[in-house]
Amino acid sequence: MYYLGIDIGSLSCDAVLINGGSTIVASAVVPTGARNREAIARATDEVLRIAGIARADVAAVVSTGYGRDRVEERLSSVTEITCHARGITALLPGTQLLIDIGGQDSKAILLGKEGNVIDFAMNDKCAAGTGRFLEAMARALQVDIDDMADMDIGAEGKQSISSMCTVFAESEVVSLIADGAPVNEIVMGLNRAIAARILSLVKRTTLQYPDMKVAMSGGVARNAGVVRAISFLMDREVSVPKKPDTVGALGAAMIAKEKNASRRPVVSA
Amino acid sequence: MMKEYFTDLEEGIQGAIRGGNSSPKKFYTLELARLGRRLYSGTDAIAWCGITAPFDLLNAMGVTSCFVEFIGAMLASTGVVGSFIEETDHTGYSSDACSYHRSVSGAAIKGMMPVPEFLIGTTNPCSGGLAVLENLACRFGKELFVLHIPQNDSAGNVRFLADQMREMVAFVSRITGRKLDNDLLRKTVENSNRACGIMREIFALARHVPSPAASRDLSNFGIVMALFLGGEQAVAIAGAYRDEFRRRIDAGDYGKSGGKFRLLWIQNRIQFRHGLEKMLEEEYGTSIIVDELNDITWDDIDPENPYDGFARRSISIPFNGTMARRVEHLKKLAREYRIDGAVNPCNWGCRQGTGARGLIENGLKEIGVPVLNLEVDCVDSRKFTEGQFRTRLEAFMEMLATRPPLWR
Ligand code: SF4
Repeated sequence: MYYLGIDIGSLSCDAVLINGGSTIVASAVVPTGARNREAIARATDEVLRIAGIARADVAAVVSTGYGRDRVEERLSSVTEITCHARGITALLPGTQLLIDIGGQDSKAILLGKEGNVIDFAMNDKCAAGTGRFLEAMARALQVDIDDMADMDIGAEGKQSISSMCTVFAESEVVSLIADGAPVNEIVMGLNRAIAARILSLVKRTTLQYPDMKVAMSGGVARNAGVVRAISFLMDREVSVPKKPDTVGALGAAMIAKEKNASRRPVVSA
Repeated sequence: MMKEYFTDLEEGIQGAIRGGNSSPKKFYTLELARLGRRLYSGTDAIAWCGITAPFDLLNAMGVTSCFVEFIGAMLASTGVVGSFIEETDHTGYSSDACSYHRSVSGAAIKGMMPVPEFLIGTTNPCSGGLAVLENLACRFGKELFVLHIPQNDSAGNVRFLADQMREMVAFVSRITGRKLDNDLLRKTVENSNRACGIMREIFALARHVPSPAASRDLSNFGIVMALFLGGEQAVAIAGAYRDEFRRRIDAGDYGKSGGKFRLLWIQNRIQFRHGLEKMLEEEYGTSIIVDELNDITWDDIDPENPYDGFARRSISIPFNGTMARRVEHLKKLAREYRIDGAVNPCNWGCRQGTGARGLIENGLKEIGVPVLNLEVDCVDSRKFTEGQFRTRLEAFMEMLATRPPLWR
């Protein structure tokens, strides 16, 4: 039997399929777009196709992410905080502090040994420092968002971005370009601005972070420059799993397996 | 508009009660509607006040008095608050200020606040409240009397505040031409003491495990009950709650939540309609069983020497004084009510709410109580995206579900 986790976020819809041994057999990331249900169907079809199984082989689905209640076939929905915690513990056991930056949320999550959430802090009021923020900045820089990941290389940290409001930061970036500031310095400035916001979430969660095993998940963790900036400000190594954007969906799949077991207990004769 | 609203509300609740659909919350809302109707009647002598004014003393002088934030909460609950807040913002008021005050100010600009005979400000709980009263006093061309509430109840401080209250009585007499009747004052004090005694019983019952208090039962209760103090209605409302809580405990009726998790709500509730409390009860078996602003009682006031008692009561409100005192009060509530977790909405623009966030969180965490900090404008629904808050609350509940029980 297989278990499916679906993480429907504001930017992407991620699906992970695991088998009865909790091994990942397929994963997919598709853009969410304007229609959540279509994205859910596409991500689901994709993992079923990769695994070469039929829908009927999936014993349970757990959904997460802001659109979690739109997944009709779900056994239950669980928040992304819990799912990311579970997912990262499966991928990088021993992680004590998880930083998750998604499309419109950023979170610092303090983890227990079993991947349980001990405490967490989330961004307040606005989406500054999240995936949407980076998208807007890439637009202002007229670069591809994926290319931004290494654009900070060689910078010396001479440029700081003072505004965290997406609109004001965008015009700040435009004026810096007009003033001839090197692009790598601007990108490093942006990365460090995001990292500073993350650090305040981390500090609200724990001050013991300098002694902790830290990992990062969510789509923004694919941006090596942001990870470097966070690592620099925390003065800690920050580990990133291979597919950081599917960590939440993996956690959801693992919870699906657990919930399915408690739904249908095995009775021995 | 407001007069009709309160009249309709009063008639609607009376109809429901007559039809056998009564509850303590209905009695309480009925009195609120009556108060609202009197405020907007155009015939009563009214006073706009700060939250911690001695309303029983004002009631004894025949003045229909109310704290201005009540109007902000009312406008929020009826879903029309946005246009009032905008009105205030157009006058240059900071949009970062507390929306209780912005909505009240907008109501005054739009002519929706009846002209009072006078205003009574208090330095507790917030300077924003005092500022809005000063604004209203200017707008209406009416006098404002300010009670300066000291931070601790030393004998000198009690005397200082008691003397101010006597001056306040003289001020009210000068403006209204009414004298304070000593027999009526004694009766008022006795009623306040009776209501307070019953409130102690209510809170003791709410501490029961499982708690008979559902999330909405005591929402805004403590703070609004102050308005009715001194009258028979405060005694009647309190009695209805006490009897209902007793009945629920005897019947093992713990509502939809079943009392699995017990939450403490810090400071104000969200005043407009939303689905978070229902979600907590129905999906997570969780009730908000105590609010920071509810379980506030005081030592009986001596009817023969009431001013010292009134003064001591005002000083003793945990919101008064240093933040350390407030944190100690919250810790006490958490222990007494065996709280699993606390939610702090950190109302936008409130220094009490946002400024104390870290201290409150650390204080409660010291005794093992986790705290969820939100950033909600408790009045302005235009800034509210329910999904964001759902996720935070749900994650908090998922976290509580994995923790070993704190008290049991
Ligand atoms: S929320 Fe804060 S600022 Fe607003 S009325 Fe209450 S104490 Fe004052």
